[in-house]
Amino acid sequence: MTDTNQQEVIVARGVIKTYDDNGVPVEAIRGIDLTIERGEFTAIVGPSGSGKTTFLNVISGLDTVTEGEILLNGRLLSGMNGRELSDFRRDNIGFIFQAYNLIPVLTVEENVEYIMLIQGVPKAERHRRVREILAEVGLEGYADRVPPRLSGGQKQRVAVARAMVARPALVLADEPTANLDSKTGAELLDMMRELNRNSGMTFVFSTHDDMIMQRARRLVTLKDGRIESDESKA
Amino acid sequence: MWTYIKLAWRNLFRNKRRTFIAGSAIGIGLAALIFTDAIMIGMKDNLIHSATASFLGEGQIHHREFRQTIDVDLTITDGHAVLADLAEEPLVEHTAPRTMAFGMITSPANVSSVSMFGVDPVVEPYLSQIDEAIVEGSYFGKNTGHEILIGSKLAEILEVGLGDRVVMTVAQAHTGELSQELFRVSGIFHFHVRELDRSMAFVRLDKSQEMLNLGSEFHEIVIKFTDIEFSSNTDHPFWEKYSGEDNEALGWPALLPQLKAAFDMSQYSMFLIGLILFAVVSLGIINTLFMSMHERMFEFGVLRAVGTRPLAMGRLILFEAGALAIISIVLGTIIGFITTYIVTKTGIDYQGIEFVGAYFRELLYPVMQVQQFIYYPIYVFIFTMIIGLYPAAYAARLSPAEAMRKAY
Repeated sequence: MTDTNQQEVIVARGVIKTYDDNGVPVEAIRGIDLTIERGEFTAIVGPSGSGKTTFLNVISGLDTVTEGEILLNGRLLSGMNGRELSDFRRDNIGFIFQAYNLIPVLTVEENVEYIMLIQGVPKAERHRRVREILAEVGLEGYADRVPPRLSGGQKQRVAVARAMVARPALVLADEPTANLDSKTGAELLDMMRELNRNSGMTFVFSTHDDMIMQRARRLVTLKDGRIESDESKA
Repeated sequence: MWTYIKLAWRNLFRNKRRTFIAGSAIGIGLAALIFTDAIMIGMKDNLIHSATASFLGEGQIHHREFRQTIDVDLTITDGHAVLADLAEEPLVEHTAPRTMAFGMITSPANVSSVSMFGVDPVVEPYLSQIDEAIVEGSYFGKNTGHEILIGSKLAEILEVGLGDRVVMTVAQAHTGELSQELFRVSGIFHFHVRELDRSMAFVRLDKSQEMLNLGSEFHEIVIKFTDIEFSSNTDHPFWEKYSGEDNEALGWPALLPQLKAAFDMSQYSMFLIGLILFAVVSLGIINTLFMSMHERMFEFGVLRAVGTRPLAMGRLILFEAGALAIISIVLGTIIGFITTYIVTKTGIDYQGIEFVGAYFRELLYPVMQVQQFIYYPIYVFIFTMIIGLYPAAYAARLSPAEAMRKAY
């Protein structure tokens, strides 16, 4: 059962993920045990192929584990069917992707509003929260623009707003600064750190960007599908 | 729901050129259906008019056994009373009595079997086009009692021309005695139908009654209705009223079953044409939707990742199919209307071509009907939605991680 008061947002126990690559089994994750608590600002780092994105996919329920179990916000993911997983992600996880991945034919407001729309939040409430979150990410006055008319930094701010507007327990960001210049990336990270402090939402990054590593309060380093190190900063 | 409709509509215009090409392809299919249907109706009307107006009439009354036996004894029971009743029928425009008998026609050069019809020269032109089909001579001009009209092919066989003498031999009613009469060819007709031009001869009704020993009786009443639709409406009480114990009243579909069968087959052909067109169009729809989906695979993954349910993903694709159908229907209806309208003005020249005993005597004009612009677009819409189920099911089954992987 979901328990919003519990401290552990992610609990991964003995997670193994094996892919079938044209008949050849490939172990992307080789046994990970990890617990991430509420309000953490954690970066999962490691070289390409270390299993960062795969780990993010399995802890968010986008992909299934081969062995082991994952509890997210107290719910065991492996026991859910497709529809339950969709609803669970909708209500508990915000996603930020490397390439922003906004819906280009929807306006900024419609993009941010989308998750609340599928949650069934009433219109007036949706609009109020969209206005609030756009103000928080510094995009007041951009509500009616479509993504192709925004800069990369602005698009990623919209993506952050979309990820946070429904107030999920967890925000997962896969290489969120990879397509941004260093100044814009730093500004975005500072903004996310600020939102993390103010909202208490848990942020988990998959990255090899130094700027994120510097700002993260905890660094989990993966290598060859295993945790090589797990350091928390004071 | 509204969000998905809006999203689907806008998605369709992300690649305007592709949408326009796909919409045009489906639209042309729809236009072809509308045009073909209009042509079919025009062809049917043309042929029915040609068949009924030339000689057959829209309906006929005979003695019940006459059509099977062509026995000259079998005249219509109470023929004059039937004629009088028909004159009072509001749905009947004209009637004409006829006699008919098989006989031999002999010229100095040759002899041939022939169907001799006795017609009333005054009322017959309202029911048939014998007068219009005369290519030499005239239609029962001066009443000498010995005029005969023969077909062009028969004139060739007999090697006769206008004014030449021929002898008609028929068997009389009741006695079976042979009756011979000398006629002069007063007119040669050409119906463009081999059977009619080769084996028919027309004489005055009173002369034929005299030859056949019929008194004032006759074998056939030909009917023209105020609306030709009555002739094919077999449920109309008219047919029962005039089909008694002795007589039978029949509309053109019963009199010319081969034409009716050909039209039924045309309906089936139309169905097949539609099916083939739809099959071609369906490939276009599937291709367009899948191309559009593959371009947006990561986006689909994102939509699924943020919590869009599988069914909602499928619904989005179905709405896109629906939006494509609407664009196609608008294009197809416009193209179909313009094309068909132009041809309704110019016509298509099939004149002289014979088709199961009937032939095109006039330009073929397609017939536009409101239903064509209602039903065919509805079929296209439904069909597109059905075809859209396949890509919709594909989208619904996509797992978010798989969609994101496929995007790379």
